[in-house]
Amino acid sequence: MNLEILDGEIIGVLPLINHPISEGMLCIKGWNAHQFIGSEKRILKPLIKEDTEFREASWDEALDFSAEKLKEIMEKYGSDSIGFLSSAKCTNEENFLMMKFARAVIGTNNIDHCARLCHASTVTGLSIAFGSGAMTNSIPEIEEADCILIAGSNTTEQHPLIGSRIFRAKERGAMVILVDPREVQLAKIADIYLKPKPGTDVAWINGFAYVILQEGFEDKEFIKEKTEGFEEFKKVILEYSPEKVEQITEIPKEDVVKAAKIFATAKNSSILYSMGITQHTTGTNNVLSLANLAMLTGNVGKSGSGVNPLRGHQNVQGSCDMGALPNMYSGYQKIEDEVIKRKFEESWRVKLPSRNGLTVVEMMNAALEGSIKGMYIMGENPVVTDPDLNHVKNALKNLEFLIVQDLFLTETAKYAHIVLPAASFAEKDGTFTNTDRRVQRVRKAIDPIRDSKPDWEILCNLAKRLGSNGFDYKSPEEIFEEIACLTPIYGGINYNRIDSESLQWPCRTLDDKGTKYLHQGRFTRGLGLFTPIDYKPPAESPDEEYPYILTTGRVYFLFHSNTMTGVSPSLSSELEEGFVEINPKDASGLNIRNGEKIKVSSRRGELEIKAFITERVKKGVIFIPFHFSESAVNVLTNPALDPEAKIPEFKVCAVKIEKI
Amino acid sequence: MKNRVEELLSKGVILGFLGLIVKNGFPLPHLFTNVNRCDLEFLSIEESRYPLVKIFLKLISKYQDQKFGIMVRGCDERAIIELAKLNQINLNNVVMLGVACSEEMAKKCLCKIPYPSQFVFGERINSSYNKGGLKEEIERMSIEERENFWKNQFKKCFKCYGCRNVCPICICIKCCLEDQDLIKKGEIPPEFPVYHLVRAIDVAGRCIDCGLCEEVCPANIPLRAIHKKVLEIFETVFSYEPGRSLEEMCPLNFPGEISSKELKTKSD
Repeated sequence: MNLEILDGEIIGVLPLINHPISEGMLCIKGWNAHQFIGSEKRILKPLIKEDTEFREASWDEALDFSAEKLKEIMEKYGSDSIGFLSSAKCTNEENFLMMKFARAVIGTNNIDHCARLCHASTVTGLSIAFGSGAMTNSIPEIEEADCILIAGSNTTEQHPLIGSRIFRAKERGAMVILVDPREVQLAKIADIYLKPKPGTDVAWINGFAYVILQEGFEDKEFIKEKTEGFEEFKKVILEYSPEKVEQITEIPKEDVVKAAKIFATAKNSSILYSMGITQHTTGTNNVLSLANLAMLTGNVGKSGSGVNPLRGHQNVQGSCDMGALPNMYSGYQKIEDEVIKRKFEESWRVKLPSRNGLTVVEMMNAALEGSIKGMYIMGENPVVTDPDLNHVKNALKNLEFLIVQDLFLTETAKYAHIVLPAASFAEKDGTFTNTDRRVQRVRKAIDPIRDSKPDWEILCNLAKRLGSNGFDYKSPEEIFEEIACLTPIYGGINYNRIDSESLQWPCRTLDDKGTKYLHQGRFTRGLGLFTPIDYKPPAESPDEEYPYILTTGRVYFLFHSNTMTGVSPSLSSELEEGFVEINPKDASGLNIRNGEKIKVSSRRGELEIKAFITERVKKGVIFIPFHFSESAVNVLTNPALDPEAKIPEFKVCAVKIEKI
Repeated sequence: MKNRVEELLSKGVILGFLGLIVKNGFPLPHLFTNVNRCDLEFLSIEESRYPLVKIFLKLISKYQDQKFGIMVRGCDERAIIELAKLNQINLNNVVMLGVACSEEMAKKCLCKIPYPSQFVFGERINSSYNKGGLKEEIERMSIEERENFWKNQFKKCFKCYGCRNVCPICICIKCCLEDQDLIKKGEIPPEFPVYHLVRAIDVAGRCIDCGLCEEVCPANIPLRAIHKKVLEIFETVFSYEPGRSLEEMCPLNFPGEISSKELKTKSD
């Protein structure tokens, strides 16, 4: 994307013609990105809370105070009493530095970020099945697919430019299958649309596999040569007849058969998925099931196919790659691995902690219990985005010290003791890694607004105050050199190589041209692993008291907790308040009119919200987007976690609806 | 080109020149001034189409009485003529340096006149590539087929407003696409057919057929076919062609619209 700058001021956005991914196009959020950067609501100076009010402070005072408090907590309660939330909105360099700060300066592995809430189960699932937890193929390859199976992804709204590729593939003749509990825009474009009951994904995916095996459409050679675990997998699959699948999922059995045949017989079938698959207590299982399906049909390791998680933030792939995770260093190198740990210890000249840290939700639990005393949150807004918000608020209130570093005084920042004003992407240099593992430069277009500073500078300044010597970077490029040196999958990348082009990891050496698609020839883990997966219902199912399924998600015009899009006049005017989608049958049963405010409650909380009566959701299911803090749906959601990925079940919880 | 720009800048004829620069491997719009004159080394006339005229409007809305230069192709010049008629650009304050498009580009753009009236670079392509294409294919369809065709196209729209954002002659302060009484907000795809009809009618008689709207459309909607049809109607019914001459006024102008008081406003 280009930013239009006139006299040092951002006046607009232009698409970047000739760019390999955007190809000179933007979605509405891209076209309006300048509006939040120049917003009057940006935090202008560091803020320190005195009693209950914030007062402005100098950087020196704010950083001295922060360093002092962090030191105090470390000495009093130990390093593991401090937790860090890094940010998928920040650059790779900044995520790497926060990871280094937590581990090398404070001495804890308590570092995580919002990827925990979106694709943690992708990382666990695809690592188990293939040996690498990232999108297997590239965005442009979507156009080469002959069949695109889209599962739990509202692609045209949430990844519009990937949606654009789906349109083009379809115009070229590809078959499009959409499986999503909501009848989103793509449902009207898809050749086959399946509308499952939320939380039943394993069942329909197993149903697909059943049909494929019955018809003998499996890729026998691929299974034999490149995978293991097939026989055990097959045993489970034989129990998922289309009849049984219909019972569990409410998808008509004929549709399961038809879709499975199309998927299996197309030359190249590509799976695209997103939060509809991952945000479940069975998230890892859902991902493993999709991986099974792709291996069964030989659709991994070749162009135009694959298992492709669509990741959200511009740098959520990068923030995972950089090791802003409690169990891994950068490049998915495990904390538990002594050799790896020693490598980092030698490079950073410190002793590093060996115990895995806490994940996002676990950190909040620990804060409430009292074992986490201090937190440093960079560019995240858990008071809107985490499940069970009443719990999160109490957890944050319980902290002795909280630093929030952000562009805006977010709902979370209000709980902080110190607020540090950060600079936006337009005000700094660095790199972002997009969903197809593509490392790209972001270049400073204007100076940091008012007193804000790039996150990497803030982290360096604070680390130095805590006596660390390893933070003397003159530029993000120097940080990147360290990343490349310590991170094999980034080993061959440097700023020069990505000056006018992008490179996709793994890119291990300077003459490595990067990797367009993974698992070519053989899987990263050697053989692809089939995992037999049985269907398990969600952690909370509807009952007499809470008879509806609530599923949550996003809308096209807004982004996450709405801190950036909410200050953009063009975006916020499209949708000014939250709403609940409810099926006409349910609405008439409860005598609810369109636009009426109704009460929705779960075992954890309640909210009042405007009803939007629509066939988009099926009877018994309601949908609420999570963007709005005034009607924050996460007061209702269930913090139950996937056992492997620790991702909460945002997509299913039981609620009741009442007229007000 | 470089020499011409350098001369205009050094003699103080213009305050700046809006053209393209090659930076980090990409051709990008750039304002060349006396301060950054060394950038001229990277000035480019690459056939990458950015909405230079639209950017130019932003520039002159801040520097209202200053003179600027701009690189123009045939379509850009037509846009500038249209905008001059709408009192958005004072031609005395514009120095246009023309570039004629290559045959390849003209073909790609289905361009009728792929060169400006005067140019410092390129060769004049005498053949017109205006004919053929989707418009004629659609004309051969029955009414029902046409309706279905457009329904299928417009259901892909996810309302980025990109078609309006790049359009050089979209200049209203309040855009009717954002008027709640006409089009419901917050909904995608936007209601059929009102969203697209409102836009087609709004630019009718002003659209200079540059095709940028279609190029930036992430939903791949062949918007150009609509605008070409409207252009054809203007030509056959009114013998009017937007951007052809300064003197001809658009037959759809309302009396208020040609008053400088009504429309002499900042763009966007």
